[in-house]
Amino acid sequence: MNITQLPYIKDVYGFLGSDVMSGLVGLLIIAALVPLNVAFLVLVERKVAGHIQLRPGPMEVGPHGILQTLIDAVKLLGKEMVTPSSTDKLLYWLSPIIVVAPAFVGFIPLPFSPLVQIKDVNVGFLLIFSFSSIGVISILMGGWASNNKYSLIGAVRSVAQNVAYEIPLLLATMPIILMTNTFKLGEIAQAQAQSGLWFIFYQPIAAIIFFIATTAETNRAPFDLVEGESELVSGFHTEYTGMRFSLFFLAEYTNMVIAAALFTTFFLGGWHGPVLPGAVWFFAKTYFLLFVVMWIRWTYPRIRFDQLMNFAWKILIPIALVNLFITAIVLKVL
Amino acid sequence: MNTNPYGFNQYIKDILVGGKSLVVGLWITFKRLCTRIVTVQYPRQKLTMTANFRGHIEAIRFDDTKSHHCVACGLCARTCPSHVIKVQGEKARAGDKKVGTRYYIDFSKCSLCGLCVDVCPEQTITFSKEYELVYYSRWDTVIDIMGRLEGSR
Repeated sequence: MNITQLPYIKDVYGFLGSDVMSGLVGLLIIAALVPLNVAFLVLVERKVAGHIQLRPGPMEVGPHGILQTLIDAVKLLGKEMVTPSSTDKLLYWLSPIIVVAPAFVGFIPLPFSPLVQIKDVNVGFLLIFSFSSIGVISILMGGWASNNKYSLIGAVRSVAQNVAYEIPLLLATMPIILMTNTFKLGEIAQAQAQSGLWFIFYQPIAAIIFFIATTAETNRAPFDLVEGESELVSGFHTEYTGMRFSLFFLAEYTNMVIAAALFTTFFLGGWHGPVLPGAVWFFAKTYFLLFVVMWIRWTYPRIRFDQLMNFAWKILIPIALVNLFITAIVLKVL
Repeated sequence: MNTNPYGFNQYIKDILVGGKSLVVGLWITFKRLCTRIVTVQYPRQKLTMTANFRGHIEAIRFDDTKSHHCVACGLCARTCPSHVIKVQGEKARAGDKKVGTRYYIDFSKCSLCGLCVDVCPEQTITFSKEYELVYYSRWDTVIDIMGRLEGSR
C-alpha cells in the first residue's frame, strides 16, 4: 500500500513539506555542517601546506593530527574577546556577526543533488553574489572600527579588490545564463546533466576567469592582499581575538566552499556523474576545487596591488567581455 | 610583425607565457606534494651525529681496563683557554700510577676549541655526540665526566 494514499498523512505531516520547514531544517543542517567543514578544511589546508613543503603538517593531536583544528577551536572559544579602548564599539562588535551571515545564506540555493536543495530560489546565483557583497561591508566595518592603520589599509584593499573582481565574476557567469536562460542553480545543473556535456567544455575561458575571480573574491592567495601578513600584520582582523577572529576565519573558508560549489554547479555539471549518487559527486568536485585553491595558495607568491588591479581591469574584464560577446553571437546564430 | 611592447600581440603573448609559467609552477608543487617528507619528527625520532660532531668532551672507555686512561696530569686543565676543566686524581698506594677520579667541566664557558682533546697524553678525551643541551640553570651545565662514564656502563 502506498503511504501517500493514507488520507490523514498529509494533514499531520504536511507541514514538513512547507517552505518554512524545509528552510528551517536546511539552516539547522548548515549551522551544524559549516563549522565542522571549516575545521576539516583548515586541517586539509595545513596538511597540503605541510606536504608541499616536505613536512608532515600537524601530527600530534589524534592520529596524523586529525583533531588539531577541533582543539584549536576549543582554544579560541576559551580566549578573552578583547575590545581595544579606542574602537567604535558597535561596529567592532557587529562586524564579525555580519560577516558570517552571507556565508550561511549562500548555501540556500546550492543544488547538492536533484533532491538535496533547500530552495531553488529563482534569483539563484544573484542571491549568493549580492549576499557575498555584504561580507565586504562587514570587512570594511571591522577595519574601520578597529581604529588601526593596518586594519584600515586591509579593509580598503578588500573593497577595491572586491569591486574590481565582481565584474569579471559576473561577466564569466553571464554566458552560462545565456545558454540556460535561467538564474536557478538547480536548472543550470539539470541542463548539464541532461546533455551530459559540462559547461567547462563549452566555456573553458569563462571557467578560468570565474575561478580566478572567485579566488580573488574570497581573498585567497595569491590575491590575499587584504590580510597580507608581511606588510599589514594580518589586515582587517588585526585587532580581533578569540571567537570574533575565528568568525572571520569561518566566513573565509565558508565563502571558499560556496565559491567552489558555484564553480561545480556552473561548469562541472553539479551533481552529474556516473554510478554514485549526486550529492557524492557534488562534494567530490567541490572538495577537489578546494584542494586546487589550497594548492594554488602554496604555489604562488602574493601579487602586488597594482598587478592585482591591472590583472582585473586589463586582462580579465576584456577577455570576459569578448567571451560573452562571442557566446551571445553564437547562440543567436545557431 | 608588431613588436610594440604595448601592442596586441604582446598582450596575447604575455597572457600565454604567464599562463604557461603558472602551470609549470603548479606542476612543481604537485611533485613536491607527492614526495616523501624530509623533516625529522624530533622528540619521536633522533638523528645520529656525524663522526666529527663536537659535543662537550667525554672520557673514552678502553677495553683493557674497562675504564678511562686518565692519569690526572692536568694538562687539559692548564691548556684550556676558558678554564673550564677541573680534574683530580689519587694514588691508591705509594708508588702506584695516579688515576683520575674526578673530572668536571663547566660547559657554559666551553668554546669547543678541542685543545684538551689534542693535548691529552693518554688520548682518553674525545668529543661526545651529545646535542640535547637544555638546562634549567647554569649549575646544570657543569658536567661530571667520570660520572657520565660510570653511568653509561
